[in-house]
Amino acid sequence: MATRRIAEKSSPRDVATPSGSEKPSDSDVTPAVPTNVIMKLLGFSVAMVVVPIGSYFVMVDFGASATVGGIVAAVMANVVLVAYIYVAWKDDQAEREADAKQKAKKAQ
Amino acid sequence: MADSEYTPKYAPFFSFAGIAAAMIFGSMGAAYGTAKSGIGIAGVGTFRPDLIMKSLIPVVMSGIIAVYGLVISVLIAGDMDPPPNKYMSLYTGFMHLAAGLSVGLAGVAAGYTIGIVGDAGVRAYMQQSRVYVGMILILIFGEVLGLYGLIVGLILNSKSSG
Repeated sequence: MATRRIAEKSSPRDVATPSGSEKPSDSDVTPAVPTNVIMKLLGFSVAMVVVPIGSYFVMVDFGASATVGGIVAAVMANVVLVAYIYVAWKDDQAEREADAKQKAKKAQ
Repeated sequence: MADSEYTPKYAPFFSFAGIAAAMIFGSMGAAYGTAKSGIGIAGVGTFRPDLIMKSLIPVVMSGIIAVYGLVISVLIAGDMDPPPNKYMSLYTGFMHLAAGLSVGLAGVAAGYTIGIVGDAGVRAYMQQSRVYVGMILILIFGEVLGLYGLIVGLILNSKSSG
């Protein structure tokens, strides 16, 4: 995520200090978390609540037995989890690529 | 069919106990998993805010534990009907209780695992990124404990409609 803020004084050595000029005295007015990340998290929160129980009622309405509905609900909950892991994974990859690009630029 | 030896008045009590057990114990497990791994995530977030998104996975998994309890509760509640319409057998009541307890207590086990593994795993991930795959695997195996409880609960519940 591109949410890395100014590293604190007590941060461990392995934290790469963000590039660019930082004046610690200036107050940081940029939002702590970008909007797209908030939308992602909100979307997954809503999906976690709505998708399993919604799919249960949809299945029951379409004539499936309650047991089948329950199985579908459990499966859908796990689908949301896998989607979340995938998105987090992708997010990390994109960030790492951006970091690598910046490093390559610096090396030149 | 009215009250008989097989369908006593107090049979629905056990079904409702099963509903409550599924929801209460499942939520207890989910709450422990969320809170314990939340401590770890908060600790990681102060040093590496960029890792928060990936570290939230134990919290999502804890949410699933609660969904399992919810599914069984909804299923059992769907079978219930007040006495003039339906006289429940004691057998069904006990079976609902077993379904609710198996989901609920399996949920406690899974939530406990997810909480501890989430806390320690996220902190380890902060220092060594290769821990991530191992952490996810351990979390999935912990999560599966709750899924087993749900499977048993669903099978038990399907036996009552006969």
